[in-house]
Amino acid sequence: MLQSFFQWMQGLPFSAWMLEETWASPIIQCAHLVALVAFAGAVLVVDMRLLGRGLIKTPLNQLAREMDRWMIWSFVALFVTGAPQVLSTALKQYYSPFFWWKMQIVIIGLLFNFTIRRRVAFAEEGSLGHWPKVVGFLSIGMWTGVSVYARLIGLLS
Amino acid sequence: MRSLFEWVDALPSSIALRESLNAYPTMLTIHVVSMCLFAGLIAYWDMRLVGLTLRRVPVSNIPTRLFPWALTGYGINLITGGLLLYSQPMRYYGNFYFWAKMVLMLIAGINMFWFHYATYKSVQAWDQGREIPLNARLAGVVSLVLWAAVVVTGRMMAYSGLMPQWWNNLNIGA
Repeated sequence: MLQSFFQWMQGLPFSAWMLEETWASPIIQCAHLVALVAFAGAVLVVDMRLLGRGLIKTPLNQLAREMDRWMIWSFVALFVTGAPQVLSTALKQYYSPFFWWKMQIVIIGLLFNFTIRRRVAFAEEGSLGHWPKVVGFLSIGMWTGVSVYARLIGLLS
Repeated sequence: MRSLFEWVDALPSSIALRESLNAYPTMLTIHVVSMCLFAGLIAYWDMRLVGLTLRRVPVSNIPTRLFPWALTGYGINLITGGLLLYSQPMRYYGNFYFWAKMVLMLIAGINMFWFHYATYKSVQAWDQGREIPLNARLAGVVSLVLWAAVVVTGRMMAYSGLMPQWWNNLNIGA
C-alpha cells in the first residue's frame, strides 16, 4: 500500500519535471538548507535556555513565545522545500531506512514540541525542577537526529 | 596553488581519507550539524541587529551568551570542512562554488571584524533601546545575506555540472 503510494508520487508529472529541470533540485535543496539553519537557530535559542545556557537573563517564556513563530514558519519552509524532494525521489526515499527514521523522529519531535516542550517553556520558571533541562536535552537530541538522518539519505541510500 | 592542491591530493593520509567508506559521510554529516549550531545562532544575532526578532533582549547579551556556542560550531565546521577539502582537494580545486564560498566567508569575516571593532564599540548607547544605528543594521543585513550565500554555495559544490560557463572556459580543473 505504502509502496504503491510512493510509486504514484514518483510517477507524477511534477516529479518528472523536478528531475528534468536542471535547476529545480539545486534551488529547492539550497532553500531547504537555509530553512534548516533558521529552524535550528530558533530551536537552539530556546533549548539552550532550557538547559540553563544561552540567554539566561531573558525570561524563558518570553524567549519561547518569541521564537515560536520563527520555529513554526521555518518548519513550514522546511516542509514546502522538502516535499518536492520526496516527490521527485520517492522510490529512493521509500527504500532508504534513514528516510523512515527521519520521518519517525520528525513526527515525535513535532508532538513533543507542541505538547511537553511548549508547556515547559511557557511555564513559570523555577516551578518544574529539572524538567526543563531534560526537555531541552531531548529536543536538541531529536532535531540533531533528524539532521543526521536527512544528510545520510543523500549519502548512503 | 594548483601544485599545492596536487601535493595534498597525493599524500597517503589524504588518499586514506578519500578511500575510507565512512570518513566522507561522517565528516559531511558533522559539517552540516555544526553549521546548524553556528549559522543558526548567528542568523538570530543578525536578525536582532536588523530588528526582526529578540527586540527585548539587550544587544550585548547575545555575543556574551551565544557566541561561545556559535564559535564552537564554527570551530567544528572549520575542522570538518578542512578534512573534507584535505580528502578531495582536486575535486574542489576546479569547483566554482568552492572558491565562491571561500570568498564569501572571507567577506563575512571582514564584515564581522569591521562591525566588532567599529560599530559595536558604541553598543552601550543603543543596547537596551529599540533603535539600532544604521551601521549596525547594515552589518546585520550584510551578514545575513553573506552567510545564507555561504550555505547555498556550500550545497552547490555537489553540482559540479552546474558551474557558470565563463568558469568552465577557464579550464581550471582540467
